[in-house]
Amino acid sequence: MSRSVGAGGTRHVLAASLRAAVPVMLGYVVIGFPCGLMEDSIGFSPLQCFLLSSTFYSGAGQFMIPNMWLAGAPLYSIIASVSFVNTRQVLYSAAFSPFFSGVGKVLSFLFSATVTDESFGVNMDRFQTDGGWTALHGLFVNLFCMFTWASANAVGCALGAVLDLPLAITSFAMTAIFICLLAGQKMTRQTAVVMAVSAAGVAFCKLVGLGGPAILLGAVAGVIAGMFVKPGGGESA
Amino acid sequence: MSANEFLVLYVCVLCTMLACRCIPLFVLRGRELSPRVKEAIGLIPSAAFAALVANDLFRPGAFETGILEGLVPFAAAVPVLIVARKTGSLIWSALVGMCAYALLLLF
Repeated sequence: MSRSVGAGGTRHVLAASLRAAVPVMLGYVVIGFPCGLMEDSIGFSPLQCFLLSSTFYSGAGQFMIPNMWLAGAPLYSIIASVSFVNTRQVLYSAAFSPFFSGVGKVLSFLFSATVTDESFGVNMDRFQTDGGWTALHGLFVNLFCMFTWASANAVGCALGAVLDLPLAITSFAMTAIFICLLAGQKMTRQTAVVMAVSAAGVAFCKLVGLGGPAILLGAVAGVIAGMFVKPGGGESA
Repeated sequence: MSANEFLVLYVCVLCTMLACRCIPLFVLRGRELSPRVKEAIGLIPSAAFAALVANDLFRPGAFETGILEGLVPFAAAVPVLIVARKTGSLIWSALVGMCAYALLLLF
């Protein structure tokens, strides 16, 4: 399933990647500001915000750090909790593996090191539906999103309380993106079971206080349930 | 947070994040996988998207202030789903989602 890299020229690759990344970039602008604001509240400088956002690059993790620090949690507890929440990245990485069989190590590393929930969604959608989508396209999507996120964090940190965006509303843009990506999945009896069990698994985890690994545990439960259902049947776009 | 504390935090979370992001792809890519493993990997996107949506919509704490408040994200998701099915556009879905959520909070 390897794809040739750079077909159509770098400019076309960049343009296609930018078009795919724009919805996520817009969402990152409005969520990145308040995230930077929170990081400012625990003494991060804009440079620290940019560094953290452009390498660690995790919205959920970056919101957790100031929240837990301000609540008085010890450093080891913050590290463990943030790391635990991000274990879902294991699933994303595994899901991309079939598309990277013929891709070089450097490109594979740069791509996989810059995947987030949102860029996973956009890239997986393209890999599944667009035969011309390459690892380079995916990397540019990741980088566009990453620099948008890092810049928004740094600006939010620098401007501090000048910005007052309603986080509940702006963050729903990301939820809407996930809903759109979910709606675009091929619907069969098997995937319907996978989705239902995944969602129920997440709800159950959150009800019993396992909010941190809820996405990972819910998704794993969904995949396991799907393995007991015969593929095919009831297929729709 | 002091510079030293930041450094410890940064290095630790970055290392665990990179391990989670990179190791599975490098271990699995280019390998001849059994049909069952391939099938399982193929189910991950559907499972992950459903889990991400459920994680955002279902917030047990939101129901403490009232059932209607807890249902706001679910209600806002309905027009998003309709727009997503009709257009397949991420931007339109995001805009409709934010507008619907904002409107529901007004009532």
